[in-house]
Amino acid sequence: MSDQSIVSFRHVSMQFPGVLANDDVTLDINKGEVFALVGENGAGKSTLMNLLYGMNTPSAGEVYIKGGQVRHFSPGHAISQGVGMVHQHFMLVPSFTVAQNICLGCEPKKFGFLSDFDKMNRIASDLSEEYGLEVDPHARIQDLSVGLQQRVEILKTLHRGADILILDEPTAVLTPQETDELFSVIRRIVKEKQMTIIIITHKLYEVMAISDRVGVMRSGKLVSVCNTKDVNERILASMMVGREVLLDQLDKSDTHEMTEVAIHAENLCAVDNRGLPALRGVTFSVRKGEILGIAGVEGNGQSELVEAITGMRDITGGQVTIGGKSIAGMTPGQVRSLGVAHVPEDRLSTGVSSPADVTDNLIVGKHRQKDFSFLGVHMKRKPIRKWAKELFDKYDIRGAGVDVPAGSLSGGNMQKVVIAREFSFETPVLIISQPTRGVDIGAMESIHRLIMEKRNAGCAILLVSADLDELFRLSDRIMTIYEGKITGEFQPENITKSDISYYMTGAQKEAEA
Amino acid sequence: MKGRKLAEYLIALSVSVVLALVLGGVIMALSGHDPIEGYSLMIQGAFGKPRLVGDTFAKAGTLCLTGLATAVAAQAGIFNVGGEGQLYLGAMASAIVGAKLTGVSPIIGVPLCLLAAMLAGGLYAFVPGVLKVKLKVDEVVTTILLNSAAIYFCSYLANGPLKTMDRGVNAGTDKVDPAFMFDKLIRSSSLTQSIFLTAIIALFVWYLMRKTTAGFDMKLTGQNGRFARYSGIKSDRLAILSMVISGAICGLVGMFEIFGLHKRFITTVSQEFYYDGMLVAMIMRYNPIGIVMMSIFFAAMKIGGLTMESSAGIPSSLIIIIQSIIIFFMAAENGILQAFRSWRAKKKVALTLRKEG
Amino acid sequence: MDVIFILQNTLRTATPVILAALGCLMTNHVGMMNIGVDGMMLIGAFSAVMGSWVGGSWLMGLAFALGFGLLLGLLYGVFVIKLRSDEFIIGVALNIFAGGVTTFLLRAITGQSGTFHAPGGDVSTIPQLSAPFLDNVPVLGQLLNNHTLLVYVSWVLVILCWVLIYRTPFGFALRAAGEHPKSLRSVGKSPEGMQFIASLMCGMLAALAGAHLSLGYLSTFSENMTNSRGFIAVACVIFGRSNPPMVFLAALLFGFIDALGMQLQDYGISSALTSIFPYVGTVLMMILVVLRSRAKSRRKASA
Repeated sequence: MSDQSIVSFRHVSMQFPGVLANDDVTLDINKGEVFALVGENGAGKSTLMNLLYGMNTPSAGEVYIKGGQVRHFSPGHAISQGVGMVHQHFMLVPSFTVAQNICLGCEPKKFGFLSDFDKMNRIASDLSEEYGLEVDPHARIQDLSVGLQQRVEILKTLHRGADILILDEPTAVLTPQETDELFSVIRRIVKEKQMTIIIITHKLYEVMAISDRVGVMRSGKLVSVCNTKDVNERILASMMVGREVLLDQLDKSDTHEMTEVAIHAENLCAVDNRGLPALRGVTFSVRKGEILGIAGVEGNGQSELVEAITGMRDITGGQVTIGGKSIAGMTPGQVRSLGVAHVPEDRLSTGVSSPADVTDNLIVGKHRQKDFSFLGVHMKRKPIRKWAKELFDKYDIRGAGVDVPAGSLSGGNMQKVVIAREFSFETPVLIISQPTRGVDIGAMESIHRLIMEKRNAGCAILLVSADLDELFRLSDRIMTIYEGKITGEFQPENITKSDISYYMTGAQKEAEA
Repeated sequence: MKGRKLAEYLIALSVSVVLALVLGGVIMALSGHDPIEGYSLMIQGAFGKPRLVGDTFAKAGTLCLTGLATAVAAQAGIFNVGGEGQLYLGAMASAIVGAKLTGVSPIIGVPLCLLAAMLAGGLYAFVPGVLKVKLKVDEVVTTILLNSAAIYFCSYLANGPLKTMDRGVNAGTDKVDPAFMFDKLIRSSSLTQSIFLTAIIALFVWYLMRKTTAGFDMKLTGQNGRFARYSGIKSDRLAILSMVISGAICGLVGMFEIFGLHKRFITTVSQEFYYDGMLVAMIMRYNPIGIVMMSIFFAAMKIGGLTMESSAGIPSSLIIIIQSIIIFFMAAENGILQAFRSWRAKKKVALTLRKEG
Repeated sequence: MDVIFILQNTLRTATPVILAALGCLMTNHVGMMNIGVDGMMLIGAFSAVMGSWVGGSWLMGLAFALGFGLLLGLLYGVFVIKLRSDEFIIGVALNIFAGGVTTFLLRAITGQSGTFHAPGGDVSTIPQLSAPFLDNVPVLGQLLNNHTLLVYVSWVLVILCWVLIYRTPFGFALRAAGEHPKSLRSVGKSPEGMQFIASLMCGMLAALAGAHLSLGYLSTFSENMTNSRGFIAVACVIFGRSNPPMVFLAALLFGFIDALGMQLQDYGISSALTSIFPYVGTVLMMILVVLRSRAKSRRKASA
């Protein structure tokens, strides 16, 4: 342990039931530096930082903060040691105001028991002035944009006197402008307040832009720690995955002679769960043998778009036709009967029933067909099982078989169950949302291949993804969506990722004459 | 449930039952009774004579039907706590029809009475079902409140407009045609032919829940409603249907009470029979076969409890206490197991790490 | 029709519902829907009568009720929070358990069943209060005077609960525990701790509601005397969105329907028929809440 290290981990391991999330990690973090912790999903970055913040107690090893060993792991203790954490999912109470959230747990009081709201608001505005993080103390969290919510989170930790700040995937939900602002704030507080920043991320260009040193994690282990200036993105990427990342070229057959339009949306409007407009007149069409990619920062209407097209959400204006038929007023089941299959964005809440076994999850939707039921009433268990097993093998789903609950599968394999079921409907139209979110590279590769095969076979595919690499790899055309409106349409060959992100944040492409 | 999980569950169940019985014994001892005498009286009271065996099985039939009624609704994700009201209305409707059709051939009369009971119970369950599915009004609260409403309504009818002129009847409707009554299978016990109908209904419910596409759809609706809707299952309709089936079964239970025992609607037609069945269903995690088995056990306790009360003076409400203790244990089973497992896992990790280090 | 009589009865009948609802809304704020309040009330009613009978004073009755309420809250907390049992199942089990245990203990302790008749006269009941200066005020005097102590206590508690929940750091922690438990944990406080406190408060308030029923409203205990009032309290909490003053109004509305029914009995309408009113009324109230909030969100969407 060097003298300047403000935080050190010594042989720290964290065992969760069935998963060794951290495996013998030893790491020192220096005072006043920006340290980036990178790794793929599930590499153990967040787990390690949650230990530092006291959210969990390590199964083995020691943690030192400012030279003192942590004996009792709790957020309360970590806070008292000056550790603050901005979680990936914000720890803010939506119905409380900014000031109330900043002061939660350490509220100023009057008469010894009443909350002093005036003082809270003053604290909040003073803080936001001091650090140059502008935000209205009276605003309710639920009415704020994610960027502003993140500011509140940072202010909240600063109010508690944090000088070690952990940021967990801080840019995942931010627009590029907001990211730039965040980075300048980080630079300023490191310089002016001598703070130590630990930033968890998997975006490598951000590591290069902001950090002094970088640690790379892979499957629970800390595989490397180096000075940022000594490495580049390519080296980091190969350390993250343990090999050079080279995705094979996919076979993209020529489908230009297929001109028949399969999905058409005209001036489509819909509202979100709170009843606010989410789609404001979206128009597009997808022809057979084509993948139309939708790019956008999360929360700009993509989810509502997919739900509106698949009958999961009411259409409040405009119309959608599938194979020439309008889907107005249809239930998801009726839309499906027009020849639509749908891979939803959230497999846990929508894509599977986790308590039901894999067989049930694979057969649902076909269970009334003649092969699987007698008169559509009596379920024929044997053929159903046989068929499920075939799918299980064909789609290379790995797990303890078809009789275990779907919830016991890993994320990637659960996603394969969804894809196996939906693709086996053999429908002419596919609506696919976030197909590889939280999925490892191997599974991602095979999912991409499957999607491309469908396209080559003449499927019309609408692909919504937050992963620009994925969109560029698969799409024939890409459209950008911002605040419920389409802001541009591009050929992936003719545009760069950074230009696309420009349109994802509100720039409007001039209509081509 | 399969294999390991089933075994774990059965162990937890047996432990819970034994613990609850032990606690019941402690309560007996504390209130100045001999637990061994108490329990042996209970067993004698349940199986000691043919009449008692008959009573036990009659009771088991009631518990089994009400338990299955709970289970059908629960399979689609609705917690029907309103079976008591559905039972009362079913009893009332069948009693009215049974009295009105006096003189009609039983071949026509009895099915009409059955139909009346099912309709009344089913429709009364339809209301909270629709409220839950279409308006998201909490069904637990509405069904409980509707219980009270139905019971008071029936009591109003039996004391007012439909009060019989027969002598010696305090609050009740006219007698149903004696020809419609179910015959007793064991003399002076309450076991009647209705037990055959009970068996058929139980078989039907099991088949529906476990073997049909509708049961499959109900299951997925109950497990993950959003997934069911996404998969194209008509989950709204199924949830309401499951509620109607549940209510119809409760209505039949009410009818069996009248046409087996009371001959007319009386205000004490059910003493919270539905809640007993609901307990059974909850303990057995809505598993139809399990419910049938557990019904017999619970019925034996209930009927045996009567002898225990009359011979040794131990209040039969002790049985309710024992049964609710079983529920508490079973509801906490997962939590207890998990606490145990994580304790064991921690110890194991600590051990292996110590060895390595 | 005697309007003042109806209003006075409204206040009387609403009180147990108000108290139980205050308890229930505490657990609601921490994210637990406690449908076991009815059982908690029943045990509260029983222990109050027993305490008053054994101790010879209504104060002892209240102390007993509060003590057992605390125990019930603890029981509920251990199962739902610690052992992560299903809150509905525990609630239902609690209600059934309460019915069994009160009937059993009534038999075991006093040898009586059905309704308790204290040997040697009545048990000591909670006294009625009145402010002499109001006696001469025509309507208010009749309306506000001569209620049992707990009626006034319940009004004070409504205000106290409101202050506690919306105006103190404790209340903020309570609501944070229900709305976003992790946010509370991340600032070093235990959401489970808040849930436990709420559960204990719920037990005591529900038991107090029961005590009012057996020592204030009536002066004895009878089996299942709560008559599902606990569930009406739950419905009032839903109706009033867990905000004490709104819940108070909902309970008064229930009380009014109940009192109206009682008044109608004087006009020869069967009591069994009028007894239906509060239950159906409450269900209608619950439907109204949903329709109201739907209309609101529709307005928001079109705005």
